[in-house]
Amino acid sequence: MSESLFARLPFWARAALWLGVALMCIWSLFPIYWMVVSSLRTPQDLFLPPVLIPKSIDWKFENYTNLLELTDYAQQFKNSVLVALAVVVITLLLSVIIAYTVTRYRVPGKSIIVGSMLYAYMFPPLLLAIPMLSIFARMGLADNLLAVVLAHCTLTLPLGVWLFWGFFKGMPFDLEEAAMVDGCTRLGAFIRVVLPLSLPGIVTVAIFAFLLSWTDYVFSFVLVSSDSNKTLPVGLASILGTFDARWGELMAGATLIAAPLFVIFAFLSRYFIQGLAAGAVKG
Amino acid sequence: MRDFTTPTDRLILGAFVLSILLVGALIAVPVLHAVQLSFYKAESFISARQWVGLANYTRVLADPAFWHAFALGLGFALIAMGLQLVLGIAFAQLLNLPLRGRAFVRGVVVLPYLLPTVVIAVTTHWLLDGAYGLFTVWAQQLGFGRPAWYDHPVSAALLVIIASVWTWTPFVTITFLAGLQSIPTSLYEAARVDGAGAWKRFWHVTVPMLKPLLLVVVLLRSIWMFNKFDIVWLITKGGPLGATEHLPILSYRKAFNQFDVGGGAAVATLSFLVLSVMIAFYFWYFPLDEKGSEK
Repeated sequence: MSESLFARLPFWARAALWLGVALMCIWSLFPIYWMVVSSLRTPQDLFLPPVLIPKSIDWKFENYTNLLELTDYAQQFKNSVLVALAVVVITLLLSVIIAYTVTRYRVPGKSIIVGSMLYAYMFPPLLLAIPMLSIFARMGLADNLLAVVLAHCTLTLPLGVWLFWGFFKGMPFDLEEAAMVDGCTRLGAFIRVVLPLSLPGIVTVAIFAFLLSWTDYVFSFVLVSSDSNKTLPVGLASILGTFDARWGELMAGATLIAAPLFVIFAFLSRYFIQGLAAGAVKG
Repeated sequence: MRDFTTPTDRLILGAFVLSILLVGALIAVPVLHAVQLSFYKAESFISARQWVGLANYTRVLADPAFWHAFALGLGFALIAMGLQLVLGIAFAQLLNLPLRGRAFVRGVVVLPYLLPTVVIAVTTHWLLDGAYGLFTVWAQQLGFGRPAWYDHPVSAALLVIIASVWTWTPFVTITFLAGLQSIPTSLYEAARVDGAGAWKRFWHVTVPMLKPLLLVVVLLRSIWMFNKFDIVWLITKGGPLGATEHLPILSYRKAFNQFDVGGGAAVATLSFLVLSVMIAFYFWYFPLDEKGSEK
């Protein structure tokens, strides 16, 4: 709808649409607001009748300090960061190689390769995780973060190949050919021409690989058993199971998992929304 | 298109073959292993296995729990997908209005999609806490007593559905919004000149223009909802008394809680088959090359 058309709508119609927008924002934000606000109140406060807008904030952040003292949360935060970064690096490297070769060279069975990537992308994580536990246990990788990294790559690699495939396909060969005529080697042309041009694609794949790894519950839940090897989502879920009604600490933990994602999103939302709009993101 | 001729080309070929083998191993080996396990009887992943042929399948298929889980998963997937579709389309329409701060609102609407399932589950539990949860207190103030959210099959299923709709609606919203913005405004102007109201314009311009996109969204969302394990597990654990136990949870409980790895693997393999049928539909509607060119 164009601007002038919207301005010509009767007042009640505009009011109704604005109301719709307001409701949409409340629907999307309220649980997040409640999570953050609850984490910022004192633990005793949470056992009083709830008020929508709290009168005071706990400047000692007791929920957060309790959480870090009582659980392995700091270690689990480190685990999550390490796993996610490893997943991002492996995903970028392998999916660029596969997608580039498939789009630039005569490779037999090309459509089978891309097709099976898309097929793999729709696989349910739990159904992969069960046999994986069996395999990793026999390989001596039970309760090991390396197993989690490899497992997360089954989520991210198909996505990476799929996104880069679309990306490289749309990039004219002429550019590289021109660079090669000018004396670049193929590798040089790739590094000086293709990579800089595909930077938006690289950022998009990196964000989604990070997001999928950071938010995954299923693989870590099945593959890891000891507290010190858990990633954040599994760590948070096990606090829910062991401590009774420590809601303040739980909301602090939830906020800490969500915060890095919100920070990344604040800076890179453009890439995120483009990737999502490409319709290629699991969830 | 090039052949692999120069040394650099062969280096790239080597890296390519290695990568494909690695990815293939990571994904194909577990799938094949799941199929293999489904022909054995085993109490745990490390104990000795005993070949039983198709016994796991006949046992699982004769078990009413399997068919309950199957029907439940189908119902859950369809209802959750349908609600996500309706809400996502409505949201996309609102985001397509020429309002000030539209980019900001779009960012706000995407936020639920970023959150890990576990965060959503824990926050849900807090909102519904029997004594101090906000929704529980509100329900009491409205005179509904203290609702036992998790104890009734229907309300437990509703919790999972609402949480799923909240989390994954942004996928539909953003995809549909991108589609809306690709429709030329002249089509709407023409429809308006012909006297079509807003509703008619939606059905006769928007829907036909975005039909392929809608099909992708419906298929992908159904496939992913059908297989979602974590949201159900973290909110209801399949309870009360198995009322919200769909195939992924059945498979998990067999393999991990009931010392029946073979049965769990059989359920997993059967889910793979169902899934493959759905994916075959997807490829049939969207042959690869067409998909690639539309991006």
